Amino acid sequence: MIRFWFRGLMRDKSRFLFPFTVVAVGVTLVVALVGFMEGVFMGMIDMTSNLDSGHLRLVNKAFYDEEHLRPLDRALANQRETHDWLVKHSNQEVDWSPRIRWRAILDVPDEQGETRSQTPVMGMGLDLKSPDSKEIERLRLKSSLVEGTLPKGINEMLMGIQLAEVLDVSVGQSVTLLGQSFDGGMVADNYKVAGLVRFGVSAMDKKMVLIDLTDAQNTFYMEGMVTDWLGYFPPSTDFDSYEEVKLSMSASLADWTPPKDWAKDDAPIVLSIRDQQNIGAIMDKFRVIKGFVVGTFTFLMVLVLWNAGILSGIHRYGEMGLRLAFGEPHWKLIVALAIEGLWIGILGSAAGSLLGGGFSWYLQEVGLNMGDSFAQSGLMINDVVRARVTVGGFIQGIVPGVFASVAGTLVASMAIFQRSEANLFRELEAG
Amino acid sequence: MSETLITLERVCKLYQVGEENFTALNDVSLEVGKGAFMSFVGPSGSGKTTLLNLIGGLDRPTTGSVLFQGANLENMSRNQLAAYRRKNIGFIFQTYNLLPVYSVYENVLFPLILNGQKENDVRTRVEEMVGKVGLRDQINKKPAQLSGGQCQRVAIARALVKDPLLILADEPTANLDSENSRQILELMLELNREYKAAVIFSTHDEKVTRFVRREVRLEDGKVSWDKRSDGTEVES
Repeated sequence: MIRFWFRGLMRDKSRFLFPFTVVAVGVTLVVALVGFMEGVFMGMIDMTSNLDSGHLRLVNKAFYDEEHLRPLDRALANQRETHDWLVKHSNQEVDWSPRIRWRAILDVPDEQGETRSQTPVMGMGLDLKSPDSKEIERLRLKSSLVEGTLPKGINEMLMGIQLAEVLDVSVGQSVTLLGQSFDGGMVADNYKVAGLVRFGVSAMDKKMVLIDLTDAQNTFYMEGMVTDWLGYFPPSTDFDSYEEVKLSMSASLADWTPPKDWAKDDAPIVLSIRDQQNIGAIMDKFRVIKGFVVGTFTFLMVLVLWNAGILSGIHRYGEMGLRLAFGEPHWKLIVALAIEGLWIGILGSAAGSLLGGGFSWYLQEVGLNMGDSFAQSGLMINDVVRARVTVGGFIQGIVPGVFASVAGTLVASMAIFQRSEANLFRELEAG
Repeated sequence: MSETLITLERVCKLYQVGEENFTALNDVSLEVGKGAFMSFVGPSGSGKTTLLNLIGGLDRPTTGSVLFQGANLENMSRNQLAAYRRKNIGFIFQTYNLLPVYSVYENVLFPLILNGQKENDVRTRVEEMVGKVGLRDQINKKPAQLSGGQCQRVAIARALVKDPLLILADEPTANLDSENSRQILELMLELNREYKAAVIFSTHDEKVTRFVRREVRLEDGKVSWDKRSDGTEVES
């Protein structure tokens, strides 16, 4: 019987094409929009966590409170012992990376050794030379390298491409870092520019310099010391897991006997990405906005499909009356209509998923260059905005699409329940 | 008289129109035998269609009883009435009411599908029935491609294909010209003889009355006469 009605459904454009189109368009928009929003948002989260915050972060509270000043004297000593503690007290999947955040003046000398150009820079010391380091992959440094090589020797640096352009620095040139050491003294150390990097984040391309962790420790007199420990979960891990591990680690911190070289007032804290740079609030808002978008589209789809169902019901009053007169029970008629709605929902959702998913996939692979718009923003957002094709995005499109189709049909078919067969029969004759 | 198929016992049907009650049928009693070929005639509002609706289990009487082979339709649930119609009743309408997206073959197949039968099992029967009404060459055409007379032939095949005991035909010739009406009535009479299904017409059309074996005239919801074609009265 289902095949018989399905045959009729496929032939009747008025009862198939319009609701199918509504579902397909609705699902396309939801899948594409969710994909785009997820892509932009997750891109921002990934970028922020990889460059700056980690998924988890262990930092001395005193350093965190005055982070903008980069107070190296509040770094944490005993790098190896701290790492062992982190591995022991966090989730085994978390990869911990030590970093030193620093700031200094970068001086570019001319051929006579006199200052040719000079500018304050933000810097990061991180493991760039160990064979098992994941930092190069994490920051996509190989693919971001515009010119030169990654640091291999002592005192080599990577420089943001725009910074190099402003300072008129080329690969192989020697520059000097002028800054403050761990104990407050002035430091000056020469570095060779090994490579120029396009981070893809305007703020970093203009101001960022990367050096190896060991070189940073030597330059700033910080042997065995780091300012931050950034923890990274595997990509598939849910945000909620970050919070769970953070809470568990925070509880363990109280029982930690501090390493001998720590200062008496060192008080490490564990932060998740949610706790930093207002990301938690942004995440919550994103979820609300995403829910609102999906909810609005679902509501609109139900509304349009309900009306489509009513129009189709009026169009098919003769058929309904006939089916009832010929002995199809009410409930079977309603079930048949629901199945019809289900079919339309499934087919429309499939088409919408294909279109919306295709659009998201294109934006995921090719991306949309928004560098000009982000140039002045200072936000840690990749210049090339990419969508993200996720199973969740499809679910958020397909489920409302199918639901709207079935609900719209059922709401419209309530009219059948409210009329007796004889009334339908009379209307059938009148029609 | 042949074996009784339908019995109406003192049937009344009232409709509420605003605050007034309208009496559509008033104390109607009659019997219809198996294989009957009869008509309800009368002016508009006389209660013909209401009577067909009650016999077809589409509506329930306000008072009185409608019995089908001794079973009171009043005692049947909505689903049981649907099953009763599905199994026993064929309908023919003035406006044909064919399903426009289906072919002649599929329109005739439709009641069998409703009865839960598989298309492959009944294909031959459907094709035979289409042949009986003279539309074998049009079997794959859609209703829009057929004339009014051809559409009504499809409706007759559709009503008969499930081999019902009773066919209710509401003004089946009202939309047809004289020649097509004659052909349709001859066809129905022929099929009535062949398939033994009782046929009850509701009609204004005098041509119909020339074909039927019994005529029940209704006026203001009451039976004013009930005669056989030979002029003898039928006792209720």
